[in-house]
Amino acid sequence: MSVAPARAATGPAAAAGVLGVEALTCRFGGVVAVSEVSFSVARGEVFGLIGPNGAGKTTLFNLVTGLTTPTAGRLRYQDRDITGLPPHRIAALGIARTFQNVRLFGELSALHNVMIARHVRTRSGLVSGVLGLPFARAEERVTRQRAMDLLALVGLADRPGEQARNFSYGDQRRLEIARALALEPQLLLLDEPAAGMNTGEKRGLSDLIRGVRARLDLTILLIEHHVPLVMDLCDRIAVLNFGQLIALGPPAAVQKNPAVIEAYLGDEA
Amino acid sequence: MTRSLLFQQVLNGLAIGSVYAIFALGYTLIFSILRIINFTHGAIFTLGAYATYALTGASFGFNGLLANASLPVRLPFVLALIGGSLFAAVCGVIVERLAFRPLRARGSDPLLTLVSSLGVAVALVNVIQYLFGAEAYSYPADPFGHLPSAVNFGTAAQPILVRTVQVIIFGVSMVVLAVLTVLMNATRTGKALRAVAEDTVTASLLGIDTDRLILLTFVISGFLGGVSGTLVGLSVGIAGPYFGIAFGLKGLAVIVLGGLGDIPGAVVGGLVIGLVEAFVPSQYIAYREAVPFALLFVVLLLRPQGLLGRTIVQKV
Amino acid sequence: MPAFLAAYDFLLVSMVLAAVLALSLYVPLMAGQLSLASPGFYALGGYIAAITSTKIFPTAGGLYPVSLVLLEMVVAALASAVLGLLVGVPALRLRGIFLALATIAFVEILRVVSLNLDVTGGAIGIFGVPQPFASQIQYMWLGLPLLGLCMLFVARLEQSRTGRALIALREDELAADAMGVDPTRYKVLAFTVSAMIAGVVGALSAHFINTWNSRQGTFDTGVSLMAFVLIGGSRTFVGPVVGGLVLTALPEALRGIADVGGLPAWLAQFLRDGRLIIFGVMIALGTVFFPHGLITPTVLQRLGRRRGSAV
Repeated sequence: MSVAPARAATGPAAAAGVLGVEALTCRFGGVVAVSEVSFSVARGEVFGLIGPNGAGKTTLFNLVTGLTTPTAGRLRYQDRDITGLPPHRIAALGIARTFQNVRLFGELSALHNVMIARHVRTRSGLVSGVLGLPFARAEERVTRQRAMDLLALVGLADRPGEQARNFSYGDQRRLEIARALALEPQLLLLDEPAAGMNTGEKRGLSDLIRGVRARLDLTILLIEHHVPLVMDLCDRIAVLNFGQLIALGPPAAVQKNPAVIEAYLGDEA
Repeated sequence: MTRSLLFQQVLNGLAIGSVYAIFALGYTLIFSILRIINFTHGAIFTLGAYATYALTGASFGFNGLLANASLPVRLPFVLALIGGSLFAAVCGVIVERLAFRPLRARGSDPLLTLVSSLGVAVALVNVIQYLFGAEAYSYPADPFGHLPSAVNFGTAAQPILVRTVQVIIFGVSMVVLAVLTVLMNATRTGKALRAVAEDTVTASLLGIDTDRLILLTFVISGFLGGVSGTLVGLSVGIAGPYFGIAFGLKGLAVIVLGGLGDIPGAVVGGLVIGLVEAFVPSQYIAYREAVPFALLFVVLLLRPQGLLGRTIVQKV
Repeated sequence: MPAFLAAYDFLLVSMVLAAVLALSLYVPLMAGQLSLASPGFYALGGYIAAITSTKIFPTAGGLYPVSLVLLEMVVAALASAVLGLLVGVPALRLRGIFLALATIAFVEILRVVSLNLDVTGGAIGIFGVPQPFASQIQYMWLGLPLLGLCMLFVARLEQSRTGRALIALREDELAADAMGVDPTRYKVLAFTVSAMIAGVVGALSAHFINTWNSRQGTFDTGVSLMAFVLIGGSRTFVGPVVGGLVLTALPEALRGIADVGGLPAWLAQFLRDGRLIIFGVMIALGTVFFPHGLITPTVLQRLGRRRGSAV
């Protein structure tokens, strides 16, 4: 498996890049899920987040996207403090995500799932929508078209009308990615996108992520357990264990880091 | 306000409050184990009251399908109370089997169970109306033998009277609270019940017979419903089949105020609402009915976990 | 035909009004909110109409102008919108059971208040609300367009960006939030629309029923509305309309069967008086066997097969 050329690691000064996580801490009662984690993600990077189960990776995603409020620390997105903002505002600013346990709108069709995520990029309200004013109708047409394009991008254009819950697990994950892309984000958070996929699907996913990053000029933050995928795709990797950041750097370096090896105790897939 | 008047108001409040408390205990027990709001508790309450009435050998009025009917038995009040409450417990179990178990088996949203329980409650109460009409009934006088009709907490010169039946209701609610607390915290069955409350699936995997425990919960809750229905009917009379629905609605306020599923909370909530109602100034007495609901609304907005409940954290 | 209309005029208009009221429960349900608050706004609308037509613009005999009825309906809608916002903004931070309980409390509080105010006539209520029409069936001149407009509104809502946002909230509020849909804003919007619809129906009903008191628009009404939507169908606007029409007609139909004769007395009596028993049992059965009601989008798709599938 080829290794993607590593991007030049940018120093902290220049990495007032896309996302800045500063001493982020999250406590649930007595449990510290995330403890004083700091890193920054540069523009255009594919940044991997790995660690044993329960290390706090998804909690970190929830903190970045506003689903959980941090107990301490700050979050910066493109030089803007987004700590404590609600999820829909963070989405409007350009951060989109997929979920560890796929959270599609099951009853709705694939097309509608993707169309919903264009909500923040459109503006027609209740009255103009109900009355069918020209502005609203035009927006609907564009929304539909863009949604179809995204379905085609992930290879699901053949069944736009099918209910999302009828799709296979792997297809659902791709649909979730299409939905997240409909938000027109600059930062895309993927939470274990390869879970439940076979080798062929994983390769397809890898190509998709690379393609999407290039075509849409995205920065990608990726949680993944499948080590070869992570090594292949990521420019840099952060390793969490028990909520703490124990290593950060290019994949090759991280792989050899003794603290990381100990954390996994030889648990490499 | 003079001291004795104040004291009288407090006692009135506690009397009203313990009526709410005794209703709420059975109500909150179901929530504590199953995380559902069982609105049929109000209907079971009514069924218990009517069943006790029938068991005392009294006859029903001239409306309804079973006009002028009466049972060929004539039990003393305490036995009728027990019998009526057992009947209520059985009804509770039947409702559980027919209405709630299928929803539990499907993993339905608790909201759906609330809706179903609303439907069942309305249906049950209207069945009672269909069978026995909508008249008011009252139990025979002197049900407990030759007890005085009121207890004097003051002096002969300045009497502070509380009706004996109200004292009994207060006493019974305290006893039930004590029994339930001991049951839940100090017995094996209680521990098993709490395991079921935490996580039904895991509990059954650990070998706990969840079905039997849920059955037990409904038996206890139904029995308590029947007892409270009878005692309340004794205190204020049975105003008709819908008096249980009114209690069902007020009961919601009580258990939310005390903390959903919190057993001491049910008593605290009931007494607090009773006291607030007792101290409503006389010019607003007509709005007293709205007090529980205003309190419910405010509590939901400010502190949905109630006075004694814990904050509910939502997992993402 | 005229004889049929004359015999069933009260029923037919009641059916139409019930269908519109059911739609008022449907709109918040699109966003996954079970709100039993509609009866409260229905009562408010009715009081506005009753007070306006008996105390503010009393007629000295003769018919009450239809234009004033329309005015009352507009005022009722606006008043309901205001009250809906006041109640909704704090209450809609609550979810699931807690929201349902808050709306139940709201309706009860309104009921007790209306029972005690002089302007609402206290326990007796308001009598002799003037009629804009000479016969009851003529209420269809207002009722049917109202139903048609509301159906059109909700149908278009379902297809619009706002409707999609509501449905996304119903499916998964957290995911919808993460996709940019502001939950509070849209829940309040749905609630306010629902309040306005209920208020308008109330205003018209006050004239139709000729009296208005604290027994209109109570918890019982809420239970009936729930039956209409739960059984009729909670996933498409057609469901509540059909539920409202059919379930309002059902007691009459049963009474008709009872009157045919030849039935044992207890069964005939049950068919006549057992409306709420039947509704209650239907609700309980519905939650188990038809959680989305009888009319679902799938059913509609099969019926509309010739027009192509809905995407």
